[in-house]
Amino acid sequence: MMRYRLEKRPEPSKLMLYGTPVAAVVLTMILGCLLFSAIGYNGLRAVQEIFLTPLTNPYKWQDLGIKAAPLIIIGTGLSVAYRANVWNIGAEGQYIIGALAATGVALMTWGMSGWWILPVMAIAGMAAGMAYASIPAFLKTRLNVNEILTSLMLTYASVQLIYYLIRGPWKDPMGIGFPQSRLFSEAARLPNIIPGTIVHLGVPIAVIVALIAWFVMSKTVFGYRMRVVGAAPHAARYGGFSETRTIWLAMLVSGGLAGLAGMLEVAGPFQRMVPGFPTNYGFTAIIVAFLGRLNPLGVIVAGVVLAITFVGGQVAQTTIGLPDEATGIFQAMMLFLLLAGDILVRYRIRRVSPEASVGAA
Amino acid sequence: MDLTIAILVTVVGASTPILIAALGELVVERSGVLNLGVEGMMLLGAIAGFVVQFHTGNHYLALICGAAAGMAASLIFGFLTLSLSANQTATGLALTIFGTGFSALAGASYSARPVTLMSPIFPELAAHPVLRVIFGYSFPAYFAIFMVFAIWFFLKRTRAGLILRAVGENDLSAHSIGYSVVKVRYFAVMFGGAMAGIAGACFPLTLTPQWAEGMTAGRGWIAVALVVFASWRPFRLLGGAYLFGLVMTMELYAKAGGGPLSAIPSELWAALPYIATIVVLVLISLRRDASTNAPACLGKPFMPSN
Repeated sequence: MMRYRLEKRPEPSKLMLYGTPVAAVVLTMILGCLLFSAIGYNGLRAVQEIFLTPLTNPYKWQDLGIKAAPLIIIGTGLSVAYRANVWNIGAEGQYIIGALAATGVALMTWGMSGWWILPVMAIAGMAAGMAYASIPAFLKTRLNVNEILTSLMLTYASVQLIYYLIRGPWKDPMGIGFPQSRLFSEAARLPNIIPGTIVHLGVPIAVIVALIAWFVMSKTVFGYRMRVVGAAPHAARYGGFSETRTIWLAMLVSGGLAGLAGMLEVAGPFQRMVPGFPTNYGFTAIIVAFLGRLNPLGVIVAGVVLAITFVGGQVAQTTIGLPDEATGIFQAMMLFLLLAGDILVRYRIRRVSPEASVGAA
Repeated sequence: MDLTIAILVTVVGASTPILIAALGELVVERSGVLNLGVEGMMLLGAIAGFVVQFHTGNHYLALICGAAAGMAASLIFGFLTLSLSANQTATGLALTIFGTGFSALAGASYSARPVTLMSPIFPELAAHPVLRVIFGYSFPAYFAIFMVFAIWFFLKRTRAGLILRAVGENDLSAHSIGYSVVKVRYFAVMFGGAMAGIAGACFPLTLTPQWAEGMTAGRGWIAVALVVFASWRPFRLLGGAYLFGLVMTMELYAKAGGGPLSAIPSELWAALPYIATIVVLVLISLRRDASTNAPACLGKPFMPSN
């Protein structure tokens, strides 16, 4: 009988590091097909509609762009934080608070015009996202409180803040009782960059953000420090890199970018604050960051892949009646398979002959 | 007096699922594993429990199937983190995302369909105006309290409990004296999954008799926080869970009745359990023994040198 064992690689495999995310996506398609066939759907059609139609149908490309933009921006910030071993999983909350701050600016300047309104909204969104992320940062650095739990609890609280504001102080006077804010003025809405489509300014901003982050993380001392603190905290301390400062930077960068994404989303597709604003981009971006191997360039690709599943999920809903929730299952499977494949980065599978394994035992 | 008793009864009901889930996670963490998928396993338990109750009408079968669903999900986590030594934080998150999506898919055709709540196990005493504080509950409330004692006894007084703690405190030594670290952790993770599944099933079976997407509303995360709050000790968990039940019950009463409480916006009440969790974590961090009591191997993958 053939036996296999795992053997530690002297160095992590580059091929596996970038090959496993691709394998994870392909395996998700295969397993997804089997899973959905097993529960009574046309599995092959489901996979085809979710993963291929958004790419082959040019009308869907604009949807891909505007769905990928927030995922790429938030995913970029999270990849910086996770590199430094800072587990900000409350990006959804920072995204919401950023959008609320931008909404606040839009409502204060309602009826006004001027090029300065959108930049002020963007700054407000980023600052608010940073401020919200600084709560877990402060508690982590000062009191060693687990940042996973605090950032997540703040997300739940932020959703209630939306409800409070749009049912109370920000309620649209013309809204016939609907809990939502006013429609933003022209000057507070993101311009479309391609006439006749829904592609807004947030799409190029997302790519630029990821490119800047890639440059900073791989070519500057700042990026080096973040990576060292995450990979070897003890060595980093000897090298004089402060862990406290790294945690603060990681939280502020990821919170600020989530806040920016929130501003772009509310000023772009939504153009007002509504109860349905939280759409879990902040959670999906966690998958984006991992699938992109915590590398901003990878995050661009991963953001598009996840956007494909969102857009494709909607297609499958209308064409073959696959419930919307199926998208989340495909996304989670992708992350499971990716994490399972991680072992191949550090280990290789060796075939052992029976005699050798007896000898080893 | 009547109001006080009504509040106490609601508190116990609201606390029970959190307590059950937290007890499971406590055992998992004592074995050195951090499973952040509690929320996802609870949702899977909730939908499994709901579907079984809807079709069979049997509450106990529903609880058992809830446990089985949670346990099955925990095996995915166990396989990835224990057999393939994947990152525990990320795998736990993935499990929560998976559980949220899968339960929503499975429950899509069941929304707004009612089931019946479990009835109290002492029907005569449950009708008594005062004694119902003690005897007015259905099975899960007593199960939760029993498990507090059972888990305390298991961890403190049994050999298996000692081995489990040894694995959580120093996996390499436990390994070197011949215990199978991975096997012990598999059992702990499966137990945690079953408890989370039961806890989730409590939502449609004892709280709101229907299925709603994401109906556990972050209670699984609060359970994870409670384990830290309780410094990994079962009896402190009991107190902590009832404290949280009180916070959540205040929301219900503030919304329902007038008085000074209703002057506070209902959204603030709804946010209160989450804010309270943060406050509690801060308070606990101020105590000196807080971090020293954490299992030493918590969250670290087991890597024997060979």
